[in-house]
Amino acid sequence: MTGPIAQRVIETSALTKHFGDVQALTGLDISVGDGVTGLVGANGAGKSTLIKILLGLLEPSSGTAQVLGFDIEHESAQIRQLVGYMPEHDCLPPDVSASDFIVHMGRMSGLPATVARERAADVLRHVGLDEERYRQMGGYSTGMKQRAKLAQALVHDPRLVFLDEPTNGLDPAARVDMLQLVQRIGRDFGIAVLVTSHLLGELERVSDHVIVLDGGHLLRSSATADFLHHTGGLLVEVLGGDAERDQLGERLALAGLTCRPRGQLVVIDPPPAHLAVLDLVRDTAADLGLGLVRMQPAQTHLEDVFLEGPGGEPSV
Amino acid sequence: MSEGVIHDIGYRGYDGPREGTGALARSLYVTGLRHVFGLGRSGRSKVLPFLLVGLSVLPAVIIVGVVTMIKLSALPLSYAAYTSQVQMLVSLFAAAQAPVLFSRDLRHRSIVLYLARPLSASVFALTRWASLATAIFAFTLLPTVILYVGGLLAGLDTGEQTPDFLKAVALQVLLAIVLAGITGVISSVALRRGFAVVASIVVVIVVVGVVLIIQGIADYEDISGVGEAVGLLSPWTIHNGLGEAWGAGANPITTIGGAWPIAYIVTPLLVTAACLALLVRRFAKVGSR
Repeated sequence: MTGPIAQRVIETSALTKHFGDVQALTGLDISVGDGVTGLVGANGAGKSTLIKILLGLLEPSSGTAQVLGFDIEHESAQIRQLVGYMPEHDCLPPDVSASDFIVHMGRMSGLPATVARERAADVLRHVGLDEERYRQMGGYSTGMKQRAKLAQALVHDPRLVFLDEPTNGLDPAARVDMLQLVQRIGRDFGIAVLVTSHLLGELERVSDHVIVLDGGHLLRSSATADFLHHTGGLLVEVLGGDAERDQLGERLALAGLTCRPRGQLVVIDPPPAHLAVLDLVRDTAADLGLGLVRMQPAQTHLEDVFLEGPGGEPSV
Repeated sequence: MSEGVIHDIGYRGYDGPREGTGALARSLYVTGLRHVFGLGRSGRSKVLPFLLVGLSVLPAVIIVGVVTMIKLSALPLSYAAYTSQVQMLVSLFAAAQAPVLFSRDLRHRSIVLYLARPLSASVFALTRWASLATAIFAFTLLPTVILYVGGLLAGLDTGEQTPDFLKAVALQVLLAIVLAGITGVISSVALRRGFAVVASIVVVIVVVGVVLIIQGIADYEDISGVGEAVGLLSPWTIHNGLGEAWGAGANPITTIGGAWPIAYIVTPLLVTAACLALLVRRFAKVGSR
């Protein structure tokens, strides 16, 4: 992927940061390209520290990094002009409207006045803050605040945005909306995204690439597809409740398959190669008079990365 | 694009020019200046600044009315003395509005959004200070201009009034930069608005009271040097002492002579420089957290 023209968006080399005795980042070598990159790790894994170093807000103890081809030590002003940042914590003044604030933030990123007004209106519409944008932000719900925070990170049309825990504090529906938005930013808006989360499951749906940090160390960095490789197993869902699910599972077990229930699904472990497992499931369901909803290949989940540890193979 | 139909035209990028540090700082300066007076903020936040402006202007309007009606040949008090008379209002304005520029961003953590943008922490801190200093200067300048223009319209002598007016304006500039520095540093440390206001009032209003008492005693006991030295502790005794020394008439307890006027200019400049250094350090430190 690393060609002479296809410049990497973020590149770090032996990046290290310690606060006194606490080692926040240790010899970090990462490389981030276009699209959506998930930065995953438990709280305190060093995600926010990494972003602050890349923005030039914190100085690394040692090591170097480039963002959009600019060196973080000497060219951080250029970096900050072309990068958007959505912090994890609350950062909105309560006594101004989102509309005024986003225009002001656009101006602070160097947009001329008329452009800032146009783009603020555009971006607020994209993040889904339409009617509320003239209200003071102090009265916003968490979801609306997150949208306003995202809008300020996008208003100046950055080439890269850092989104630090954008789904924090959101209810499940708002979480899904936010993740869709993150995906759109990376794919439709053409802005490279580095999004952090401590919830691995959320990022596997939206990111093209995942970097896993653990205690300031790089645990793993690879394309999301590699994380989610097929196990050879199968997931089957039938109409009805637990009784129907178990009925199917028991019959398939009699036919020589290893089955387990998982939620509403029956998980079938990789079958022997000679068995036409799809046909078998179809016929079994038909025999039992069960409505077959879906059959899909089973995938490993990002959670498995933590279970397997560095370098190991997923254990499924 | 046809009119009357809303199209979702998708995301549009921006390839045009981006402004440099100077233009960014100017934009921040103007926004800050507006925010001090509550403009662009909630309706409630406009009440106090405009109430104080109204109170400080009212006596000037009355004086101009009186001078016009009974055809006085001079103003009943000098420009510098007027500023000194409304010093409580000026101090309150500085104490109450400094947190708008120096506590809000830190308290609500929006400082991080600024520092993730091209302006550096030091330019940010200095621009904030410039906004506050300008606001305080405008606050003191407005009634002075009313007195001056009103006086001239009432037939006072331009040649007599103009030098006094200009001296008073110069004193106000000195006053504004010191007050903005002191209240700015206090507000950037005491992030709760109440604490910041009370601490600023103590430093700006209570200290001048103590200084005046000491000056009174020194004057009564006829001890030379003490009153002059103590006067350096408050922006207001500096303003009044210097005003009297320049012949702009500000009626201080201790009149300063000899080399004291130089000390009265150098001290506020040094204090301001120290405040600016503290502000820059504070903002740079907060940004890294």
